[in-house]
Amino acid sequence: MQVGLLTGFQSSRETRLPVPFFAFLLVWIGFSVASIALEEHTEMDSTSVVDPLSQMTTTTLSNGLTVLTLPDSSTPVVSFQIWVQAGSVDETNFTGIAHLFEHMMFRGSKSLPPEAHSRLIEARGGRVNAFTSRDVTVYHAEVSRENLPLVIALESERLHNLDISKSSLASERQVVLEERRLRTEDSPTGRAFEALFAQVFQAHSYRHPTIGWRSDIENVEVEHCQEFFETFYAPNNLVISIAGDFDEEETLSLVQKYFAGLSRRRPPVRTPRKEPEQTGPRRAEVIFPVRSSLIAVGWSAPRAGHSDGPALDVASEILSGGRSSRLYRRLVYEEEIALSANGYYWELSQGGVFYAFVRVRPGASVVLTESVFFEEIEKISSLEVSEKELKKAKRNLEVALLKGHTTSHSLAQRMGSEVITFGRVRPLAERLQAVRAVTAEDVRRVAINYLAKTRSSTVNVIAPDLHSQILKSNPASNLQSPSQ
Amino acid sequence: MSVIWGKWGAMCLFLLACAAPNRQPVDIVSPPVPEKIPLWELPPVDSPDRPVVPSNGLHRWELKNGLEVIFLEDHRLPFVELGVTIKVGAASESIEEAGLAVFTADLIEKGAGDLGALELSEKLETLGATFGVSASWDSSTVSTTGLARDFSTLIDVLGDLVLRPKLSSDEARRAREELLALLEREKDDPGSLASRAFLSALYNAHRYSAPLSGVSNSIKNFTEDNAREFHDRFFRPSNAIFFATGKIKPKVLREKIENVFGSWKGSVPEISADAILPPESKMLKIVIIDRPDLSQAQVRIGHQGIGRTDSRRLAASLMNLSFGGAGFSSRLMSRIRGREGLAYGVYSYFTLRRNPGPFVISTATRFSEVRRVVDLVLFEMERLKREPPSGQELASMKSLSTGRFSLRLETSSALLSSLVDLSVYSLPADSLDTFRDRVMKTTEGRVSSVAQSLLRPESLAIAIVGPAKAIRAQLSDLGAVEVFEP
Repeated sequence: MQVGLLTGFQSSRETRLPVPFFAFLLVWIGFSVASIALEEHTEMDSTSVVDPLSQMTTTTLSNGLTVLTLPDSSTPVVSFQIWVQAGSVDETNFTGIAHLFEHMMFRGSKSLPPEAHSRLIEARGGRVNAFTSRDVTVYHAEVSRENLPLVIALESERLHNLDISKSSLASERQVVLEERRLRTEDSPTGRAFEALFAQVFQAHSYRHPTIGWRSDIENVEVEHCQEFFETFYAPNNLVISIAGDFDEEETLSLVQKYFAGLSRRRPPVRTPRKEPEQTGPRRAEVIFPVRSSLIAVGWSAPRAGHSDGPALDVASEILSGGRSSRLYRRLVYEEEIALSANGYYWELSQGGVFYAFVRVRPGASVVLTESVFFEEIEKISSLEVSEKELKKAKRNLEVALLKGHTTSHSLAQRMGSEVITFGRVRPLAERLQAVRAVTAEDVRRVAINYLAKTRSSTVNVIAPDLHSQILKSNPASNLQSPSQ
Repeated sequence: MSVIWGKWGAMCLFLLACAAPNRQPVDIVSPPVPEKIPLWELPPVDSPDRPVVPSNGLHRWELKNGLEVIFLEDHRLPFVELGVTIKVGAASESIEEAGLAVFTADLIEKGAGDLGALELSEKLETLGATFGVSASWDSSTVSTTGLARDFSTLIDVLGDLVLRPKLSSDEARRAREELLALLEREKDDPGSLASRAFLSALYNAHRYSAPLSGVSNSIKNFTEDNAREFHDRFFRPSNAIFFATGKIKPKVLREKIENVFGSWKGSVPEISADAILPPESKMLKIVIIDRPDLSQAQVRIGHQGIGRTDSRRLAASLMNLSFGGAGFSSRLMSRIRGREGLAYGVYSYFTLRRNPGPFVISTATRFSEVRRVVDLVLFEMERLKREPPSGQELASMKSLSTGRFSLRLETSSALLSSLVDLSVYSLPADSLDTFRDRVMKTTEGRVSSVAQSLLRPESLAIAIVGPAKAIRAQLSDLGAVEVFEP
């Protein structure tokens, strides 16, 4: 079936002629090798670290496709990833279409039947998968070096010749609805997050779940998928990220050969809606038969790369990093009212959320647990954290930055994510420096600025009988819950 | 071949024809000539057999007290991972004391040497390090990871945890109540509910019928004395493996281990793990856990599988990959998800323990389709016996198996834990290096005979979590259905 995908193929055909590859527009970005001492004044010898990504090469094809390469022969695997700058944030008419479309990318092309893409890679010992988030869609495969050309050919095939039929969409839609049931509708945690994002974001499209609202998933048709593909899957909206065991020169010419024929398109127009100032606390209750009630709290926070980010990371580490953190110590260990309590600063490309998630012990009071939780938030805003806590938090963030370089997949992931979000890889040295510069005063300042009760959104997931009990004991509590 | 590829081929031929036969290509970086045939239509390229375990990085020795040491040197990142594995876990428990190994592990984590629970966490987290104690069916493990420069502190703490846990009564109460609460919480997860109901239907009163962490009736009686007894009896050097990986010099490690663990003493009497499994029923056994609020039914289907050291395990694994163990390449996924859109995922697996753990098919579908899914699973199981993987299908599964194997072992940490696992089950130390060869040599006949001997569709246990009323009506003609509250 001719679905009009990338009709520009014909006109740009000549760019695929085997003319010298390096004659095309090439952009090399060299990073100076970062030599990092983990802490000044340390007497330890071997703690300086070189950012593995300092060896990364960036190549841009004439059609705007960015290719990131980082060969590393110490691993037997190569990871090939395509990062598409299209996530659920970009959806206009149908929420969930970015994710549903990601599924359709595995449902066959002109030359290959559904799922053949996966099977061909798996039959050669590789692993293949994809994911969609609010900001991006990522396709990845991990294979041995001999099979990298096949992966490149397969990715090229589906980008050039994807074939979405009515029947394959109909059956994949059912698969996605099952995924929605599994992860959201029948899952207390899924329910909590769906409700939380719809509270924290009132105007911005981050309020919609990435998997989409049910009726949207039910209503997407073939032509909507095609339109989505044509809008977002243009080479100048893609980043290819390759790390691990492969020959750089050979691979770059293969990428050139297989992807240069894709036509550049006008970049999609993005006019993100600005979230209006929040003027009071928001609440939602989800009544669901749980034994362990859930409390999810969120605050609107700055977008990825904002200078307050490191201080928010430190705040979240002090609140919930490990068993000596404040929330664990107070809610889980001392008061024994929670099973776990975690908070994170989640940076997104157009905004962020600082959120906390508490699992209440079966039998413990949700109301009490929530008030103890807010006491701890209040404390971090009103009193400066101790030097010792600050140091510990920073150390753990530094270690977290250094870890996560152990697999080809994780290397390629950092490359893709950084370049698509920031247009460059932020060197480790820069990030470690930003963490180290955070002061106790910074932590207090960001807590005051972002984590005020009046700017919070709270979701409780509670069992039906518990809900009526709480209503009976404190009917006024319902007054705090205006419908949003 | 598609039109596009055809054009490409034609163009390439044209270019080749124009080139003077004896002229060197001007441009050495020009891309290779595009294929006439797409790469996926060519036979798979053989990957060379790479050594799995780096020969220069692996060090093994034994202390005088019998403690086995496995050390994988790796200087790529400034981290270390250290631990001790005890070759005894939950399988050593009677059903009445189910959960004792997990309880003991939890309690060890809550204080050792001079440090209480919070102080211990504080000490390690201040260094950016982590630690944990866990128990599985056939082993218990204490481990810590941190910066290489803190190696000395980390191994001292590890020594305290293994040799001098506090096991205080206050922490025992905490650990007990936490375990009971977690057990309750797990019931909020339909998948956990289904797995539990399935195991309980399959193993009757055997230890495997209860979750790893036990049941409320066993857990509520645990005290620090029980943990002390478990620790004293099993945490002995002759029954233990010290493992390490990361940026450490072998000499430094050697001295430090001697220092910390050299005076550890004692041995463990031969343990007879309860090898007698309950007989399986000769007909389908169906249980439903009623959750009228759910939109999707969690489905578990299976019977007893094979033990970790069973000589049939490789053939069984290849058979299972083609059945439901290989994602999109497996028959169940292709049918149930790919063709019929009935589930987000469907998987089958053997749970390998010393004694035969369960062989499970696991999926979830909208509750109105439970019968369809059960029928398809039964059909595919019968077909697997009738037409076990052979020819191209088996070849793909072999390559999938060896490929996954090397993906799984990409990190030193994963490689190390596989080496420890081999030692726990007394399997040959070179098993990782011979894996590929053994897989490749597994014949069609072998896979087929294993399928005949292992698959028993007549003895399946089926556990389903969802709205019981609607589900029961679909299954009642298959066999007796029992319905339980969560």
